[in-house]
Amino acid sequence: MNIKDCVIILCIMIFMSLFSNVLGTPATVIESIPGLIMLADIALLGILMAKYLPGNIPSVAYIVTLGCFLTYPGVPGSDFITAHVSKVGFIALCTPLLAYAGIAIGKDLDTFKKNGWRIVVLACVVFTGTYIGSAIIAQAILKFLGQI
Amino acid sequence: MTNIKLHAIVLALIIVSELIGTHTIKIGVGTIVLLPMLYALLIGIFTTLKFLNLSGNKEINDASALLGVTLMLLMARYGTLVGPTLPKIIAASPALILQEFGNLGTVFIGVPVAVMLGLKRETIGAAHSIAREPNVALIGERYGLNSTEGRGVMSVYIAGTVFGTIFFGLMASIAASALPFHPYSLAMAAGVGSASMMTAAVGSLSAMYPDMTEQLAAFGAASNMLSGLDGLYMSIWVALPVTEWLYKKCYKVKYGVSPSEDEEGLSEEDKEIIEEEKEIIKDEEKNMEAVEEPSKKEGE
Repeated sequence: MNIKDCVIILCIMIFMSLFSNVLGTPATVIESIPGLIMLADIALLGILMAKYLPGNIPSVAYIVTLGCFLTYPGVPGSDFITAHVSKVGFIALCTPLLAYAGIAIGKDLDTFKKNGWRIVVLACVVFTGTYIGSAIIAQAILKFLGQI
Repeated sequence: MTNIKLHAIVLALIIVSELIGTHTIKIGVGTIVLLPMLYALLIGIFTTLKFLNLSGNKEINDASALLGVTLMLLMARYGTLVGPTLPKIIAASPALILQEFGNLGTVFIGVPVAVMLGLKRETIGAAHSIAREPNVALIGERYGLNSTEGRGVMSVYIAGTVFGTIFFGLMASIAASALPFHPYSLAMAAGVGSASMMTAAVGSLSAMYPDMTEQLAAFGAASNMLSGLDGLYMSIWVALPVTEWLYKKCYKVKYGVSPSEDEEGLSEEDKEIIEEEKEIIKDEEKNMEAVEEPSKKEGE
């Protein structure tokens, strides 16, 4: 996917997210726009970095790291960025995303039906595995540190 | 990209979903959470049904192509959510970092179960993590969300979004009463990278140990912030490669053959795979015979 297409898609997403954010959070249209534009810039920068920097690191990693860095307290401008992006609701951003996702996975509906119960069982196993795995290590660490 | 019909449908979905709004149903220790994103997903799937014929093949394909980039806006927000909490994360005990390896429990329990259940490449997406937003974005970038792997991660993501809090709330209370863990360990383990799941788990623990409420909340929150930050890096460099490796091992144990190259392709039917596997087995048998024959001749 070339950069021009990415820019167009990000613009479409700003437009769509504007609706979900205004309807889904207390923020107004005017309050939402600067934050959304900043987020799109961070996303674009991350995509460019993944494309042109060596190491084959996914753009997700660049984007999350950039977002962290730019809002780290003390970094010049971080207060300004944090103030604006905090007007954009995380959950509100998911709505347009899952609308596209719903349409995209529509064609796999039969496979979903067939594998649905398996994945629900698996989800339970995955959650349990994560929780118990973490608890075992937490127990060992806290014992080692003498906190319990 | 310029498919106006697709974007018009999506815009309608967003408006309808947001107007329905968030609904929570309280059940015992947790709540079932119904978010606008869930309605958007369901109605989105609904529009692709044949008899409605709202979203045709063109819309489906265009939506698939867009998905990867659409996730990036969410990830930018994710980074900016974590950033302001970084000083607190750094201040938290570095020992917490070790605890993050516990999240690998997901892989070692999840992958064998997934293969046992008969799942194929869905396993990679579904069992490499607890499938929160960064994991969805990662799988989306690596394999595409409309791939088999993408289906896996999306399914667990949705299951977690709807039932995650109730599941973690229940699990924390069961673990606290039935397993020999200290409540602090259970609170720390609750930080899996989802604020709502962590809150639910710590909530049930606090109800059981009211005099520890503050420490439980502190352990849970610190661990959760850390998971939010390192979860993605762990997934890229540790969990995902381990999942791929373990999947191949488990696949071989169950089916007796390595997952073939063809199988890694897109939406295939299971029947096709089974046929391919049979062919592979036949080929292998032929090879075996071919190997045996010369040795017989030598014997003669």
